[in-house]
Amino acid sequence: MRRHLLMRLEAPLMAFGGETIDNYGVIRDFPALSMVTGLLANALGYRREDSDLHDRLQTRLVVGARLDRAVQRLTDFQTAQLSKDDKGWTTWGVPEERRGGAESYKSPHLRYRDYHASLSVLVALRLEPSDESPDLDDLAHALDRPARPLFIGRKSCLPSKRIFAGWVIAENVLGALQTAGQPESTTRSRLQWPEGEGSLNGDRLIELCDERNWTSGVHGGWRPVREGSVPNSGEHS
Amino acid sequence: MQFPRFIQIHTLHNYPAALLNRDDAGLAKRLPLGNAVRTRISSQCLKRHWRVTEDRFSLSNLDVPMAIRSRAIPGLISKRMQENGISASLALAAVESMRNAGLLDKSGKDKKGEDALKTGQAALMGRAEIDYLVRRCTELAQTAPDEKTLKAEIAGMLKDEKKNIEALKHGSGLESALFGRMVTSDVIASRDASIYVAHAFTVHPAQVENDYFTVVDDLLQEAGELGSAGIFDTELASGLYYGYVVVDVPQLVENLEGISAKDCFSPQTPAEHRELAGRVVEHLIHLIATVSPGAKRGSTAPFDWAKLVLVEAGDWQPRSLAGAFHDALPLTDKNDNGTIRRRTVARLSDEISAMDDAYGAPLARRFLSLDSTEVKGAERTDLNKLAEWAKDVIQAGEC
Repeated sequence: MRRHLLMRLEAPLMAFGGETIDNYGVIRDFPALSMVTGLLANALGYRREDSDLHDRLQTRLVVGARLDRAVQRLTDFQTAQLSKDDKGWTTWGVPEERRGGAESYKSPHLRYRDYHASLSVLVALRLEPSDESPDLDDLAHALDRPARPLFIGRKSCLPSKRIFAGWVIAENVLGALQTAGQPESTTRSRLQWPEGEGSLNGDRLIELCDERNWTSGVHGGWRPVREGSVPNSGEHS
Repeated sequence: MQFPRFIQIHTLHNYPAALLNRDDAGLAKRLPLGNAVRTRISSQCLKRHWRVTEDRFSLSNLDVPMAIRSRAIPGLISKRMQENGISASLALAAVESMRNAGLLDKSGKDKKGEDALKTGQAALMGRAEIDYLVRRCTELAQTAPDEKTLKAEIAGMLKDEKKNIEALKHGSGLESALFGRMVTSDVIASRDASIYVAHAFTVHPAQVENDYFTVVDDLLQEAGELGSAGIFDTELASGLYYGYVVVDVPQLVENLEGISAKDCFSPQTPAEHRELAGRVVEHLIHLIATVSPGAKRGSTAPFDWAKLVLVEAGDWQPRSLAGAFHDALPLTDKNDNGTIRRRTVARLSDEISAMDDAYGAPLARRFLSLDSTEVKGAERTDLNKLAEWAKDVIQAGEC
């Protein structure tokens, strides 16, 4: 039996980002491993350039999630007035500029961003090896007293609950997700957990690409996870 | 005592018959939440209006205190170079050279010594910018045989990198300190926004009406025609909107003063390093309370001052009070618990009490409200005093 840390992700709008292509920011049903890593790293006060710390934290994380409400997707449309003259300085001495001709910037840039509306998600996690720094207690403390405001996927997705949601002792991640109390009365909850962390009748194995290489900034590799659903016992926490 | 690392600002605004924020079909933006769909104002829409508005509290009307700033930046660069093992005389030479090249201001004439440490114009450089300049100057100083050579080399470096340095100066203003700036592939040069803004939404089910209207052509009428020129319809929504903003004070100080966020409240950091950040937040609270995200100003006059502004300071995990409105407020109340605004304020107040119980950590609070109401652990005050209080706790470094 092992100790798992629970997180409650709840906000009117959240974004579990997938592969953004062009100006379409799509979402997935479950939070990516990289997003959970980023959220915890933010709480711990890691900086963007601390890529080794991020990579190590991501490697150690064993994470699963349970959707406690029905998924409702919303696409937000926004316009941005970009300009050919926009420049950003860099530490390699040459500014980065916008590509394309002045014509490209005559009209506003149109962006589409998907969000989860009204969702509530329970996350269960532990760290392996568990005796390294940061440990689970460090994470719990950092969530309550974070280095920066915490957000769930995008900066406008601000939590409406305390994120740290206590501890649960369980055999594995699936067990942790099943034993933690359910706040809402949906008929069934969908779950996702890493391969080797338990199994459910009727679950399925999926290969997922949700790990970020924090040095290069791109996602890569495949991670086996299982997805399934359980009827709710109706207990409340 | 806590450090005021996070300033949380909660608001209630009332906009009747307006179309503040549209999607690509021209309809009012919406949000399905809990048991009802609401109308919504996106964070990007709100931020833009706070950023570009012109009034007494706009960011452009914030006098940046020259005397303090002018000593700060060049002095900081020279101090950090010396920490890297560069002699005081070389470090001073480097700062002089940067000033004379117009990096810190456009002085136009050579300044030496102490004068070089006092620039004539505000430079709001953040930590990333200072880090970079210190690194480049240190590299050159390590190989320079004397001050004269170093000065020439730094001038040469600034010339070679003219475009980059221009972009660096351009991206270092007050606006980007709050709202962030253009993202590049260089994470080390990034400047993160110090303000987090949630989408505002109505606390009750969406109240939307299709407004049918015709356009009449006066000239055609004068010519004896009927004058009809078009038939249209547009959505108009009414609502009481809950808004939520968090300011990350250490990040704001890092962006404005070039010192590390973690040193923001350290005993070694003098309060004047938080002076400007405090005044920025003071202005921001005024802007949030009084600036409308107005679209269709001419036809709907969507102007409102907040009916409630609640400001919290502390260092616990910031959280919005949106949970209080997960179940939409009914428009009428059978038990007659007062107007919808009163019932909304009551719900907010309950949510705060519940949050305090859950965290066991009450935050420092002040609020303004048009309705006589009580909020747990918070003193009721007016907008000027409220914004000033936020400024004071940031500067004092405790709440």
